Amino acid sequence: MAKIKVATGLLQGCFGCHMALLDLHEHLIPLLIAINILRSPINDVKEVPEVDLGILDGAVCNTENKALAIEFRTKSKKILALGTCACMGGINGLRNLHDLDTVLKRSYVKNESTVEGFIPKSPDIPQLLPNVQALHQVIHVDYSLPGCPPTPAMIMSALLDIINNREIKIPSKNLCHECTRTHEQMYIPRREFVTDSVTSIMELDEINEERCFLEQGILCMGPATREGCEARCVKGNTPCRGCMGPGPDALEQGAKMINSLASILPAGGLMFMEDVVGVGYRYSMPVSIYPHREAK
Amino acid sequence: MNIGLFLSEGDGEISKVVDVKYLAGEYTGDVSTRVLNNLHSAASHRAIIREIEDSKLEGVVLAGESPLFYKKTRNGELLLSLLYAAGINPNRIAITNIREQVALPHRSTPDEATLKAKVLVDVSLEKVRLSKNVELIEVSPRRAVTVIGTTVAALFAAQRLLERNFQIDFIDREEVRDFKNFKHQSMPTLASIRENPNARFHVSKITDFYGYAGNFRINLENEVKIRAGGVIVAIGDDLKYTNELYPFLRLERDERGFFKALSSDTAVTETVQQGIFLISEQQKLATTIAMADSAAMSLDALLSQNAIRHELFVSQVDEAVCGGCGTCIKTCIFHAAEIDPVKKLSSTNIKRCVGCGNCVSACPTGARDQISGNTKYYLSAIKMLASYKPPSGAKLLYVICEGCGYPSLDYAGITGLEYPTGVMPLSVRCAGRLDTQFILEAFKQGFTGVVICKCKDDHCLNIVGNTDLDRRANLFRAVLSSRGISPDRLRIFGVSDCDGASCVTSAVEFMNYLKTMGRS
Repeated sequence: MAKIKVATGLLQGCFGCHMALLDLHEHLIPLLIAINILRSPINDVKEVPEVDLGILDGAVCNTENKALAIEFRTKSKKILALGTCACMGGINGLRNLHDLDTVLKRSYVKNESTVEGFIPKSPDIPQLLPNVQALHQVIHVDYSLPGCPPTPAMIMSALLDIINNREIKIPSKNLCHECTRTHEQMYIPRREFVTDSVTSIMELDEINEERCFLEQGILCMGPATREGCEARCVKGNTPCRGCMGPGPDALEQGAKMINSLASILPAGGLMFMEDVVGVGYRYSMPVSIYPHREAK
Repeated sequence: MNIGLFLSEGDGEISKVVDVKYLAGEYTGDVSTRVLNNLHSAASHRAIIREIEDSKLEGVVLAGESPLFYKKTRNGELLLSLLYAAGINPNRIAITNIREQVALPHRSTPDEATLKAKVLVDVSLEKVRLSKNVELIEVSPRRAVTVIGTTVAALFAAQRLLERNFQIDFIDREEVRDFKNFKHQSMPTLASIRENPNARFHVSKITDFYGYAGNFRINLENEVKIRAGGVIVAIGDDLKYTNELYPFLRLERDERGFFKALSSDTAVTETVQQGIFLISEQQKLATTIAMADSAAMSLDALLSQNAIRHELFVSQVDEAVCGGCGTCIKTCIFHAAEIDPVKKLSSTNIKRCVGCGNCVSACPTGARDQISGNTKYYLSAIKMLASYKPPSGAKLLYVICEGCGYPSLDYAGITGLEYPTGVMPLSVRCAGRLDTQFILEAFKQGFTGVVICKCKDDHCLNIVGNTDLDRRANLFRAVLSSRGISPDRLRIFGVSDCDGASCVTSAVEFMNYLKTMGRS
């Protein structure tokens, strides 16, 4: 069997997804029997060759990202959007809450560490697009694998599926299914909130490692987030931040989390304690129902 | 799916404003249209049934009177029962209100009214297309009636039912009231009923109440468990007791907070809950007795049937998506959401679910959905309603809950109030069903403003639907601001169920406000 030709590329991202690919360690060796990575930031090849599978990591934020995405599309038979940024815009997407001008001024002019700042305008520098977009909003995408980053096991499984011409499998339930913490209050059919107040994790001396975060008054995005990440954060005693994005039947994560929290935690506490918008849309702003600030 | 669209001219009342014949000409393909003088004559019934048979219809859209007409009048009920008998599933019948919410309030602007009616018919057709058949169950009714209260009316009604061999359970709050001061020779005394072996008295508080007509389950604080085919509520003007019973019985309440009947003219003892009858406080003894007789007779008729049919308009869980977080358990005040101890997934107790949809809004995964009015339908409806272009003024998504918002907007039309056609009504089962996702979708689709017109506090038929909406919407305002959408463009207000004037003034005032903000 001829090896499958693969190219990988980085758009606006943190390289985390590429790192997760490398985290396959020795499992990469059998994989490399089936695939041949012709181009990748890892082997530092810049030109994009004609390939069977193009893997892109990162969101589309600027003109360079867009050009690379389009080049990948024209040269790849199939495209895999790898990781949350490529699938949903990721954390970059939060910039859509501000207009471009404000963003540039905040970064280059009205910045605490900048004196006499100016917005760079060299033709050599890629221009930011008005809004951050997920990859599928720019080019046609064949496979999407969310995760920040996806676990090495998820990447392996997805690549095997693609090699074998199968649809890749992504779990459809929410993180609570995968989370092993115990529920007490959440399963009691009583209309009271599960706690009296909302608490930021920094405020706590101790977090109960076995009990549902929400029941401790800590905002956890688990209920509105797709499972599949092996619940790494909650196992590390940190509440879910929602990186896997919304489940298949939710239109978006932010509104759904608000609907849900309104029955679980005291609303007053949520309003004052938490940045509801930042938490709800942290990873999925560009694929939310209203993906950016309304134009003036 | 073949769908029949039956358009009513309302005996001229609708057709003098809405060009019904033009509407009929707009639909082809799998939609067969008929224009009828009205939908409620024997001739119209024959025409509708013939069309169902000839065109092998699976769905029906009735464009004419308000859905409330079908809920509250015998003529309406009759037509629906004919459709069911002809094999149309109840969930594949949609009612387009082109009378109370189009022809009457837009009589000065017939051209706009026709275009708006077209959009509303489109929405109904979409609803039928996106609805799956609802499951039906049959309950063999118990010949037992629970009478709440021991007022004169309660005793009279009970007497009648005891004569017909019903088992009667009386429940009263603190004591069995004493009527010795009330002397009349035809008066049944407490003693005569007390001697009847089929009557039992319970002085206790209700702690749980569920089930449906034919088979209600009532648990009392003293651990007595009662099963009854029907319920009579005759507690007089006891507001305290009304407040106590309201979360269990889920009856409509009037301005003063007392329970009220389905219709003050034609259904004086029936209530919004099938199988629960109300004998309200009356000035004249003769009226009280007549109502007691009416309630007893209606219950006898209802519970003498071999089977009572119920449509399971409940919330359903997609087990492939549910992860068992427990949000629905915390949300449902009726204890209808349960966690399967083995699968650790949520499920619905169909005996308890009232189909309000609060859990559907709350479900963070979208695993829960309603059989009637599913999420897909609402999204389509919002998009379609947004397609209407009012020639002037703002375009409002006017969300009305079935409990109070809908009847109030109807009432505006009935009482001759006019309002701009840009008010686009979207009916939801309960304010609690209004997922905040729909609000964002409405702004995305270009609505200038969103109004949610719901029941006042302590009037929500689903007890907490209006409160939960408030909580969600208040948190959600931050999301609107973050998108540069002024939270002022979302308005929520509570109305009583016949406050047409408030609906109209608020809509007009809101439109003016949006205009001053430079949005129309």
